[in-house]
Amino acid sequence: MKKLLLLAVVALTSAGAVTAAVFAWPISRTVELSTTVGDANRGAYLARMAGCIACHTNAEEGGAPLAGGLALPTQFGTFYSPNLTTDKQYGIGAWTIEDFSRAVRQGISPEAEPYYPAFPYPFYTKLSDQDIADLWAAFQTVAPVSEPSKPQEMIFPFNFRDGLKLWRAAFLKTNGFEPDPSQSDVWNRGKYIVEGPAHCGACHTPRNFAGARQAELKMHGAQGLPDGGKSPPITSNALKDKNWTVSNLKYALKTGILPDGDAFGGSMGEVVRDGTSFLSDDDLTAIATYLLERSE
Amino acid sequence: MIKKTITAAAVTFVALGAVAFAHSGASGIYKERMDAMAAMGKVVKDLSAIMRGEADYDAAKIQEGARLIQSHAGEAMTLQFPEGTTDKPSEARVEIWSDWDTFSELAEQLKMNAEGLEKAASNGLAMGGQTSGSMMGTENSTMMGGQSGMMSGDQTMMSAEQLAAMPADGVFNAVAQTCSACHTKFRLEKK
Repeated sequence: MKKLLLLAVVALTSAGAVTAAVFAWPISRTVELSTTVGDANRGAYLARMAGCIACHTNAEEGGAPLAGGLALPTQFGTFYSPNLTTDKQYGIGAWTIEDFSRAVRQGISPEAEPYYPAFPYPFYTKLSDQDIADLWAAFQTVAPVSEPSKPQEMIFPFNFRDGLKLWRAAFLKTNGFEPDPSQSDVWNRGKYIVEGPAHCGACHTPRNFAGARQAELKMHGAQGLPDGGKSPPITSNALKDKNWTVSNLKYALKTGILPDGDAFGGSMGEVVRDGTSFLSDDDLTAIATYLLERSE
Repeated sequence: MIKKTITAAAVTFVALGAVAFAHSGASGIYKERMDAMAAMGKVVKDLSAIMRGEADYDAAKIQEGARLIQSHAGEAMTLQFPEGTTDKPSEARVEIWSDWDTFSELAEQLKMNAEGLEKAASNGLAMGGQTSGSMMGTENSTMMGGQSGMMSGDQTMMSAEQLAAMPADGVFNAVAQTCSACHTKFRLEKK
């Protein structure tokens, strides 16, 4: 009995110590970016490609661009995209470019809090310093909207944000983009877009119990998406089996029209409408080339 | 014997009928509108191959296709969606009726875009593969510029005359965007 009690005390103490350690665990790295000059037009294009505008604008309810408030219901609770306008109090108007860089590429807020990975920063780690500077320049052109962000409605135990540090340690890879020198420039550009800003795997790669993507099933399609639907596999074999070619795949991403004459609905309809329909012909070719030619 | 045969025939007939019904899975207004969608899908399949440059350019075929889409768009489409017709296998979402204005505007927009396509049928394709119509151009690259319209799906309507002056693939893109915009808002996706 005494032994049991002792065991319990030890367990509780160590659990407490672990909790305290997790709480105190510093996760951010410092960045210096103030010297990089950004191109606002290029940044706005990237914001389209990356879905910043799509997810941080509640267009359905007439919300102002990038003022947030769009709900993303998941099995972990409902996320609301925050206000990213230049409002100093409620938006990111008081941020520095270093704050912005850490938020986008490391998933850490200026207050050193980890973000929930509903914000697809595990993909944005592939963005270059120049990308960040361009995005930052573009965000400076957004009119301030003085509306507070909605609090996240997470269910227990996911409402404990510090638990995300464990998730990060287990699942987050923060290496940047590494081109494959044995592949063409077009292929590498496609890989960068697909695995970086366009974050295709966020919906097309199945996730594990903890909501982390399963690397060995990359692009194999997933069920239980936020809208309750499922995504088809987009591995090169799966795409070829369905008669996708570079020509009809880039066309689908531009127009929403599938090879059989149907038109995308659901979340892919939104992806095309708010994202890929804005991309250049070269970038659409790159995406289609990479998806059809990547090794599984 | 005869009676037996008749019974057997009747049973077979009924069974066949049931199979046919289960196969198409739709009747009445459901079947009508699903057939209309399928007919438009067939046109879109053929015309999109032309727009991608995979099939020979054929102005007459584009005109004919544009007319078929017109015949199923606008009021012809909205009349096929009486309130509450969501029984299986229909993919209609209830939002059609709670947001009827948007639904009927999209149906009208489809008609107008298809009229534009008919007029633009002999204009040929845009050069260089940059097939974007002005509604989806990358020129709107500022964070604020023109995007809210794009994002709410409530696109700036172009008149049939404006569309008539555009390359055929640009106008076809406008048709395609309307299809996808409506599916995104109002069609149930297979779970």
